[in-house]
Amino acid sequence: MTELSNRFQELLELLSVSPVLAIALTFGAFFAGNRLFEGLNRPAWLPPILISSMLVSAAIAILAIDYGDYREGAQWLSVLLGPATVALGVPLYQQMHHIRALWRPIVFTLPVAATLAAVYAVLIAALMGASPEVLASLAPKSVTAPIAIGITEQLGGSVSLMMGGLLITGIMATLFVDLLARRLSITDPRILGLALGLNGHAIGTARAFELGPTAGAFASLGMGLTGIFTALILPLAFSLTGI
Amino acid sequence: MSMLRGFLVLTVFFIAGEVLRVLLALPVSGGVIGMILLTLLLMVKGSISDSLAGASQALISVLVLLIMPGVVGVFFVADEFAGQWLAVGIALVLGTLLSVLTTLWLMRRFSGQEVDGHD
Repeated sequence: MTELSNRFQELLELLSVSPVLAIALTFGAFFAGNRLFEGLNRPAWLPPILISSMLVSAAIAILAIDYGDYREGAQWLSVLLGPATVALGVPLYQQMHHIRALWRPIVFTLPVAATLAAVYAVLIAALMGASPEVLASLAPKSVTAPIAIGITEQLGGSVSLMMGGLLITGIMATLFVDLLARRLSITDPRILGLALGLNGHAIGTARAFELGPTAGAFASLGMGLTGIFTALILPLAFSLTGI
Repeated sequence: MSMLRGFLVLTVFFIAGEVLRVLLALPVSGGVIGMILLTLLLMVKGSISDSLAGASQALISVLVLLIMPGVVGVFFVADEFAGQWLAVGIALVLGTLLSVLTTLWLMRRFSGQEVDGHD
């Protein structure tokens, strides 16, 4: 019995040295997460990324793999994150013509709203005594993940905490846009789409596509512009205020 | 094969972004700089090749895979930020409520003007 458990230990050590196990776990959880999401009738409060991440967490907890080891193996996937961020420019270019249809609210609203999305959260957290590292992790909360990772690294925040904040923000934004649009009696799919993409990044954009292709297109545009604007303004604001 | 050509374009733009970031000491990530360069170039060109469109779509469709390792970490940092979770939670929920409200209010205001105006 101890002989077998020794061998099992040896096997785990062998596998955790190579990135193959981390990559297989990530891929497996990705497919399982998507399947579960479809099976649960696509719940807005439980996006596939959250399901998949919980599956990976459970798996590495059960197999007693250290998170640092998993992270190191999965680095191989993160190499693609740079080119994938560049790739976001393609849908942005494809949706750019929508700016002409609604340029006034976009030009006047987007910079203010994208700035406030960060300011509200950072201010509330600062008033409640959060540390500078937490503030830097919360600031890009409305920005799509690949861009937000770059911002957090520049600001010196924790990527993991930022990702958690991103998920909660996306889910909350979807909920609040539904709720508040009804109260303010806003039905224009272009405005709903922009609000979803601006505040709720990819999770909000996925919800916008459920409302229709117009809302989806404007959400993609709102998400892309918010990402670029925030990436340019946040590092500047942080260096000026000296947080 | 043609998708690989598009992937090469994306990688070259990413490297160009990294080069600009380091040489000009920009506080923005190389990916974002590359993305802005690509968007501007496409707008000037006015068209996009099938290989670039295909490679972009393929990468974007697996974005979840690429960011998942970072998300998994959130389940393992509980101790690191002990005592700050209440601030984090309230900042996220209340902050998002306020920013959605501001966005919708501003959008309605400015798009309302557009209807009254020339459109």
